[in-house]
Amino acid sequence: MELQTKHALAAQLLAMADDEILLAHRDSEWTGHAPILEEDIALANLAQDELGHASVWYGLLHELTGEDANQLVFFRDPTAYYNIQMVELPNGDWAFTLMRQYLFDVAEMLRLTALTESNYQPLANAAAKVRREELYHVRHSSAWVRRLGLGTDESHRRTQKALTTLWPFALQMFVPLPEEPALVASHILPDADQLKQQWLDVVLPFLHQAGLQVPDTLEPIATSRQQHSKYLAPLLQEMQEVARQDPGAEW
Amino acid sequence: MNEIGRRDTQWPLYEVFMQEKAERPFQSVGAVHAADAEMAILNARTVFVRRPACHTLWVVPHSAILMRTSEELADDEEDDADTGEPQRYQIFQKTSQRRAMVYVGHVGEITAVSPQHALRQAIDTFGSSEDVFVWWVVPNAAITSTDDDDIDSLFAPAYDKIYRQPSAYRTFTAIRKAKHSSNQ
Amino acid sequence: MDKTLTHEEQLAEFEARIARGEKIEPGDWMPAEYRRQLIRMISQHAHSEVVGMLPEGAWITRAPNLRRKMVLISKVQDEGGHGQYLYHAAESLGISREEMLDALLAGRAKYSSIFNYPTLNWADIGVIGWLVDGAAIKNQTMLAQASYGPYSRAMVRICAEETFHHKQGKEMVIQYAQGTPFQRQMVQDSINRWWWPTLMMFGPHDSDSPNSAVLIKWGIKTKTNDELRQEFINEMVTDLTAVNLTLPDPDLHFDEASGNWITGPIDWDEFWRVVKGDGPCNAERLAARQEAHENGRWVRAAMEAFAARPERVMA
Repeated sequence: MELQTKHALAAQLLAMADDEILLAHRDSEWTGHAPILEEDIALANLAQDELGHASVWYGLLHELTGEDANQLVFFRDPTAYYNIQMVELPNGDWAFTLMRQYLFDVAEMLRLTALTESNYQPLANAAAKVRREELYHVRHSSAWVRRLGLGTDESHRRTQKALTTLWPFALQMFVPLPEEPALVASHILPDADQLKQQWLDVVLPFLHQAGLQVPDTLEPIATSRQQHSKYLAPLLQEMQEVARQDPGAEW
Repeated sequence: MNEIGRRDTQWPLYEVFMQEKAERPFQSVGAVHAADAEMAILNARTVFVRRPACHTLWVVPHSAILMRTSEELADDEEDDADTGEPQRYQIFQKTSQRRAMVYVGHVGEITAVSPQHALRQAIDTFGSSEDVFVWWVVPNAAITSTDDDDIDSLFAPAYDKIYRQPSAYRTFTAIRKAKHSSNQ
Repeated sequence: MDKTLTHEEQLAEFEARIARGEKIEPGDWMPAEYRRQLIRMISQHAHSEVVGMLPEGAWITRAPNLRRKMVLISKVQDEGGHGQYLYHAAESLGISREEMLDALLAGRAKYSSIFNYPTLNWADIGVIGWLVDGAAIKNQTMLAQASYGPYSRAMVRICAEETFHHKQGKEMVIQYAQGTPFQRQMVQDSINRWWWPTLMMFGPHDSDSPNSAVLIKWGIKTKTNDELRQEFINEMVTDLTAVNLTLPDPDLHFDEASGNWITGPIDWDEFWRVVKGDGPCNAERLAARQEAHENGRWVRAAMEAFAARPERVMA
């Protein structure tokens, strides 16, 4: 693989992994605090899956560059994280969490489906495997969004508010990385614009049927994954606290 | 969408039946709370398939099932209102007193005009009540099932979660080594 | 059961069934006291699993590597699952989950006192797995034999799943006990704090345990609190000292005659203080459960409203 391609692919894998690890972190915060016991268990399942996906992408990155997943997760400063801002945001209420999950899940499912055709075989293989449980995620989060959108006045109001807040954050999912065009040209990655269109084709009618209004804007909240919200630093401080107490230790 | 006066509940109860592998009988594994059948399927997966193996799940509203222990049958004073339309019923039994994590298991199907009618036929067809400790009669119409397309997304991923298996931890060797070195 | 029998005859037949090793199932005749004791025990046990998610759950976001994080999420998830199984076993006795949760949230229900102690360092996660879960498994293995079918089945399922909880904790404690000075100090500190509360988990001495006799007679329990506690002590002292951990008990000694490790006196004043609501974290645990319940109220209502929509009722 050419050095430039390798560099670009590494950036892409890091972006995917960082998104998943932070979403796993947020999902895991619900464990023990969900609206009903069955959903405590469901959110813990999502958190495990997202964490598992993060490990898959960090694993591919390791094969490519030799970087260690635990070093990357626990010893990298906020400025070096390469995630979208949506996954940094605090959980808010149940509607906010499930709306974020839905918007993310559909995008991930579409990206994974496209990646099963990737010219980079390890990525294609991993995508095929990860995609299986992503289908369940979409089923779970869309079942919830639909019900919350159509349930009571209160649930509708909260769900609409979540959508309005999250929409520009979600659009950042489709901002191509600077290095991305080379990967698209060599059929390693799908085209981000096409992906966004596919995503809109799924979520717009679905959200409409759930009685929700999608904001007019198509402007993402940020265009670079190096820009972060104020929520990332405290999140990482918590996540890295124990590991950094004794950096040389095996845990 | 009137919210005033609505009582807060844990949602209705659905009984969960699991078929571990194709062709194996369905067994009662427990129950979940869910607001509707579609959510009950997702909750059943979440609660009962954290580990392998599962091939198909059924969920059935608890209230739709006729449940009788042999002790209740011996004392049966039920009215026979056998006047409904014929329907299919799935019959489940508990036939063992051994320690187990499942309750009743599937034995067959009956067509009958009421659950009570189905139960009487089941007793004639599937053994005397003395060998059977518990009967469940489940109307087909009340069953919501996963299908074969769900296996990959709902049930297969459990196989990859190997950290849930005790064999992923090597504690026995670690303690033996520690004891050995502290004895020297 | 023949309804013309007197209460004494019904009771004799019920006890004969238990003596034959039969399981009592929902719908079968049972003495009111049997039902009352089971509802008490099973609901307390369910509450313990659910409240027990909190002290460990607080460390999920801080787990120091990816593997430990994954293991801890799935362990706490199992605890939620175990609470779910147990609430259902209690439901089969005619009490609803709403009623049980109301009792918990109003502070009327008990749960295992161990969860009213704080988790102060990461090694606590290992020590809870090895010691606290180890003690719980002793009890649960016994309850898997219980005469009430739904309780027994829930316990068989729980025991099968708990094995990994125990082993992951044991693996951590052994590793940290042989790890860096920082880790060794951390895990010893944790053992010092959890040892006595763990011994209290088996409940008061047999002489002070008013329910024990009837629970054993009706096959709900098969061993006494002191018997289970002694088995646990004997196993733990051997293993913990093998990895050079010390126990916070100057009176601990081996008794050649009985083959038992004998501990110093357990502080039962502390035990009763925590049981009665005055432990280090009682208020915090209850507040966390109440908050989750209140924040979830509109969610539960929305789901019911959706299920009741006309187009769904038609379908």
